[in-house]
Amino acid sequence: MVTTESEQMAYIAAQAADARVNVEVETDEGMTLNLGPQHPATHGTLRIVAKLDGEKVVAAEPIMGYMHRGYEKLTEVRTYPQVTTLVNRIDWLGSFANEVPFILAAEQLMEVEAPPRAQWIRTVLFELSRIANISLFLGDMAVQVGATTPVFYAFRDREFVLNQIERVTGGRFHPNFDRIGGLKDDLPKGWIEETGTVIGKMRDFCDEMEELVLGNEIFQARTRGIGVIPPEVALSYGLSGANLRGSGVDWDIRRDANVGLVYDEVDWKVWTHPDGDSFSRFWVRLQETREACNIIEQLLGGIPAGPIMAKVPRIIKVPAGEAYVATENPLGEMGFYVVSQGDLTPFRVKIRSASFSNMSITPWLLKGVFVPDIISILASLYFILGDIDR
Amino acid sequence: MGLVESGKIPKPLTKLLNMSRRYSMWVYQWGLACCAIEMGAAFASPRYDVMRLGVIPLPASPRQADFLVVSGTVTDKMAPAVRRLWEQMPDPKYVISMGSCANCGGPYWDSYSVTKGVDQIIPVDVYVPGCPPRPEALLEGIVLLQERIMNEDMAERWKGDPIVVE
Amino acid sequence: MAEIPEHLLKRAQAAREKAAAQKKTEGEDSAQSEKAEPAEEPEVEVVLTDENAEAALAILETALQGKILDSHIAPGRGLWIRVAIEDWRSAAKAAKESLDCKFFDWLSAIDWMPSPYGREHETEQDKITAEPEEHDEKEMEWGYTGGETRFQLICRVYSISRKIGVMIKADLPDSDPRALSLIPIYAGANWHEREAREMFGLTFDEHPDLRNIYLPGDFEGHPLRKDYPLLSRRMKPWPGIVDVELLPGDDE
Ligand code: SF4
Repeated sequence: MVTTESEQMAYIAAQAADARVNVEVETDEGMTLNLGPQHPATHGTLRIVAKLDGEKVVAAEPIMGYMHRGYEKLTEVRTYPQVTTLVNRIDWLGSFANEVPFILAAEQLMEVEAPPRAQWIRTVLFELSRIANISLFLGDMAVQVGATTPVFYAFRDREFVLNQIERVTGGRFHPNFDRIGGLKDDLPKGWIEETGTVIGKMRDFCDEMEELVLGNEIFQARTRGIGVIPPEVALSYGLSGANLRGSGVDWDIRRDANVGLVYDEVDWKVWTHPDGDSFSRFWVRLQETREACNIIEQLLGGIPAGPIMAKVPRIIKVPAGEAYVATENPLGEMGFYVVSQGDLTPFRVKIRSASFSNMSITPWLLKGVFVPDIISILASLYFILGDIDR
Repeated sequence: MGLVESGKIPKPLTKLLNMSRRYSMWVYQWGLACCAIEMGAAFASPRYDVMRLGVIPLPASPRQADFLVVSGTVTDKMAPAVRRLWEQMPDPKYVISMGSCANCGGPYWDSYSVTKGVDQIIPVDVYVPGCPPRPEALLEGIVLLQERIMNEDMAERWKGDPIVVE
Repeated sequence: MAEIPEHLLKRAQAAREKAAAQKKTEGEDSAQSEKAEPAEEPEVEVVLTDENAEAALAILETALQGKILDSHIAPGRGLWIRVAIEDWRSAAKAAKESLDCKFFDWLSAIDWMPSPYGREHETEQDKITAEPEEHDEKEMEWGYTGGETRFQLICRVYSISRKIGVMIKADLPDSDPRALSLIPIYAGANWHEREAREMFGLTFDEHPDLRNIYLPGDFEGHPLRKDYPLLSRRMKPWPGIVDVELLPGDDE
């Protein structure tokens, strides 16, 4: 039975791939529903082929690759400083956070360390990009379950954070600001106070979201008890970030396996939620945004003076070796496995992106749910297509 | 609109028609990658507010749209779907290609899976450069498109030979 | 000397005050804080993690009983082991059971063959040729824990209780690169193995459906193999280094 089912799924997928249009096939055994690749509920270009029996999903299979841009191959023909331009664009909502693990891996291999000031500013920007990223999730999740207003608030308040990022890095989106051995530039004057104000605004935004969304009956009905992931399953599928903590696993790379960023210097808390459902994932993310505000506020008070660049050679050649560095990105664990053979370019870069692993649970998770729940489960898993397909 | 189809529209009428078309454009946004977020900021955020230009975002289907914004990387796997959606739009239709990726491949100019420029598969009216372009840049692209529509000679466009779709 | 007019003196005084105030704000921006100084010596930490990795390695060695071909510990950076391809699944199992590595991080492969196209980023090498360029016959060089064949599988699993990540490597035979799937042990290996198959042309036995995951069905070749050419680079010459950004502190 299992083989026939998987065979049939393969057949349907092949059919659909050939037709390359939205197909809805009705057979004796039920209906096959295709969502995407351009569908408002799939955040870009994910496609889900679901086999239905009435309103119930018998099997669902995400079909990816519509955004596959070949990062891993392209890094092999880019020099190390050029790679950051590329990896910026993997998780496009929190771009700065993508650069950091790659730079840290290269720094490990070169055995240089960024000066303390650079590390602090890195951490501040890292957390700012977390807020920029997750605030959009908070609005978007509400849209997916039927409330349109919060997303406008999210877009409005997100602009403040983007402004701050832009003032330092010159880019709203893809800053390309991190360098091996430090940062490109120092903070502009008056930035620290302004960021303090923005953090205050983002706190208000979190409160607003909490009032608008969390207590809403419809929101609760559509997320509570939906898409429950037990902790063991979450671990074996390699879920990370808020998805893992929403299942009650107390694990955060920032606290437990921190490399190169200054999270030990501040006083903060890792939030977990025992339920493992869509609601808990939303809740954990909301708390994390608050916590990020806390972290930034504490860091802003004590950015040490000093240089922002360590001594690195003009032409960067990374000594042979292998290194894996992961950081707790807004979406979860993002890591770069860099293999160097002493050249100007990496020999091989394996990008471990959070969404890819987070999404790999969907065939398991979507089995047996109802059609409207597909949307709320997908939204709560929170993925970014560039992060899945790379 | 028998006049339009026969291609005999007097100039003043053309002008009037163009003016009305210019300020009621339904856009079907084709959000593909990072640029889609900047497009979202331009269309959905109160700061940029595209509706003041007479653009109505979020129609339910491409069949109701007047122009399409291709924002982001078009991959070879996605290209047929882009073409398909464009074919579904009713004439007169316009395309804005947003971002270096849609224009020419951008940072993925040497990738094995990226289509280097959406103009290889559909005709493009306005290119908005940038990676990503700021929302203001997209708004300017829309204004340029509106100017183009304003100056369009409808009689010329509707001479009778329909746009051939292979 | 004539006396300096009073209004000039005032102006100078005002300018001095302004400069002082500016200095103060600048100072605030980069205020040195007591907290900034790391409290402990960084070396202490390195030694600690080292022990952690060594303990983990010892546990794995007893669990796998001589099946570990080679191992490498980079202090503070992790633990690498290499096993024969027949032991691929049992090594993962041992890591899960004896080391409590429940978290499946990722799985991929490495093609150790030197690229036949040379380093394509260098301007003078970007000639428009269809043929692979002349290059020095380079020997294959393997990274940590060595290797024997062209393709090497690598997977990383993590133990949350012990806070140690293990990279497991295994050489794939050149003639028939295939391995046992890890799905029975880590369900999450499914997509990673599909990806590795597509990118490197490997085969995983007992995998339920090894379909393409990224590329369209009619795509030919395995892009991450080193001998897969990036055609656009051959067709279009790279414009070269147009502007080189100066590093901060670099005057010229
Ligand atoms: S042009 Fe730049 S920002 Fe836009 S989709 Fe391409 S990579 Fe992303």
